[in-house]
Amino acid sequence: MTASELAIVGEPDGANGAGPVVRVEGVRKSFGSNLVLDGVDLTVAAGDALVIIGRSGSGKSTLLRCINLLEPIDDGRILLEGDEITGKGVDVSRVRQRVGMVFQQFNLFPHLTAIDNVTLAARKIRKLSREQAERRARELLKTVGLEEKAEQHPHQLSGGQQQRVAIARALMMEPHVMLFDEVTSALDPELVGEVLIVMRDLARTGMTMLVVTHEMQFAREVGDRLVFMDEGRIVEEGVPADVLDNPSDERTRRFLRRTLQLPESLEELTVNEEGVEE
Amino acid sequence: MILATYDLWAFVSDNQEELLDGLLNTLKVSAFAIAGAFVIGLVLGAARAHRIPVVSQLTAIYVEVIRNTPILVQIFFIFYALPQLGIVFDQFTVAWLSVMIWGGAFNSENFRAGFQAVAYRYREAGYALGFAPFSTFLNVTLPIGGRIALPSSINTYISVLKNTSLMYVIGYAELTTTSLNISNLTLQTTESLTMLAVVYLTLVWSLSALIRLLESRLALPESR
Ligand SMILES: Nc1ncnc2c1ncn2[C@@H]1O[C@H](COP(=O)(O)OP(=O)(O)O)[C@@H](O)[C@H]1O
Ligand SMILES: [Mg+2]
Repeated sequence: MTASELAIVGEPDGANGAGPVVRVEGVRKSFGSNLVLDGVDLTVAAGDALVIIGRSGSGKSTLLRCINLLEPIDDGRILLEGDEITGKGVDVSRVRQRVGMVFQQFNLFPHLTAIDNVTLAARKIRKLSREQAERRARELLKTVGLEEKAEQHPHQLSGGQQQRVAIARALMMEPHVMLFDEVTSALDPELVGEVLIVMRDLARTGMTMLVVTHEMQFAREVGDRLVFMDEGRIVEEGVPADVLDNPSDERTRRFLRRTLQLPESLEELTVNEEGVEE
Repeated sequence: MILATYDLWAFVSDNQEELLDGLLNTLKVSAFAIAGAFVIGLVLGAARAHRIPVVSQLTAIYVEVIRNTPILVQIFFIFYALPQLGIVFDQFTVAWLSVMIWGGAFNSENFRAGFQAVAYRYREAGYALGFAPFSTFLNVTLPIGGRIALPSSINTYISVLKNTSLMYVIGYAELTTTSLNISNLTLQTTESLTMLAVVYLTLVWSLSALIRLLESRLALPESR
């Protein structure tokens, strides 16, 4: 697969195409009394791949879901290509058409074949003819290595194949930014690589991406920036290799040690009820 | 002796025109009622699954009333009580209306359960692609939940068909009424009942076969 085959980035049609694609300003979000996002600020430049890491429950999924307007925010604002999307009177469905999202559980529609999963929204929302849509869908399935599987139903595909179809499905809408929420976490280890390779190639086409992941090698090699989230806040941000090799915040250091990303031998670690002993 | 003269074929051939009319009436009433029960079930089931205010509560009351009263009382209510309030229907209308109302209540429960069984993550995938809420219902919840609801709604349609025989109580000339009215005069009760059993079995089996064919084409692929 080459970069040009995957090229799908539409012209940014925001107020200022040269500015950041996503801008998150002081976003706060609670579920009941549980404060999940506690003043998050974030800027993602066009063409950047931003990697988000952090403990389970630190608010990573919620942040992505807020950017795609799947969750309302309590405070702050989010801008997409310069347009405020969290204000009143925003056409939510239209915003989501500019934002592609891929989920941990794939969420392919079980009653549709791979190609129908990919074409459905393009036919119904972008009003492409079936022929046009299928031609484009086959190109996309080819770039994710699945042109042979176009007529299969999701349950006939491996997790890695399902996830690649899900990526093609999101790309079919020609989004201006892609959100990936732990898209390899539900996969058997031997299937993780095929999905990460598709994401790497997509990043190389210049797609703007926000990637929540535990794959540190991917973060290091593909990410342009990396943020570490803890308890609803971004506590550290920088070039991935710098953050991973020289975390400046103690919480980042502890997280990386627990996920065995720091060069310490397993020999030296012990476990208590909290997990890895500090 | 009645038994000595048992002759099913004579009963059918002597009365074939009347019986055929009765059969056609049964089919007509069933078709109207099943089509209506399908639409009612779909719409009200969707309203309940999505907790649409007012409609949802009214549907709950409708379902409770229909499920917890005998269908005979419902038929009599429409046939005898409504005219007292100035609402008069002909027998044919009472026939399909009463079984449609009965089937619609059960079917709205079938569809409600089907739609509620659609995991939220599928709807969320629809929203994330840019489908508006109603389009998400049409393109995601309906095709997935409708397939889940199919087997139980088939059972409701079969019950609707069999319940058309209750129109005997209002004297509407569907198959059961026609056949029993003839045998009341000719004393061919056994022939009459045998014929009814055979015809209803055939109708129900045909209906099931038809719908099972539909089901096998529609069923969610993993359960095929
Ligand atoms: N829909 C929801 N309702 C209530 N609480 C939620 C919901 N979604 C997430 N949470 C809570 O928000 C917190 C952050 O969750 P999440 O954003 O999924 O974290 P992460 O993706 O980093 O693991 C958790 O405490 C979680 O229980
Ligand atoms: Mg998460």
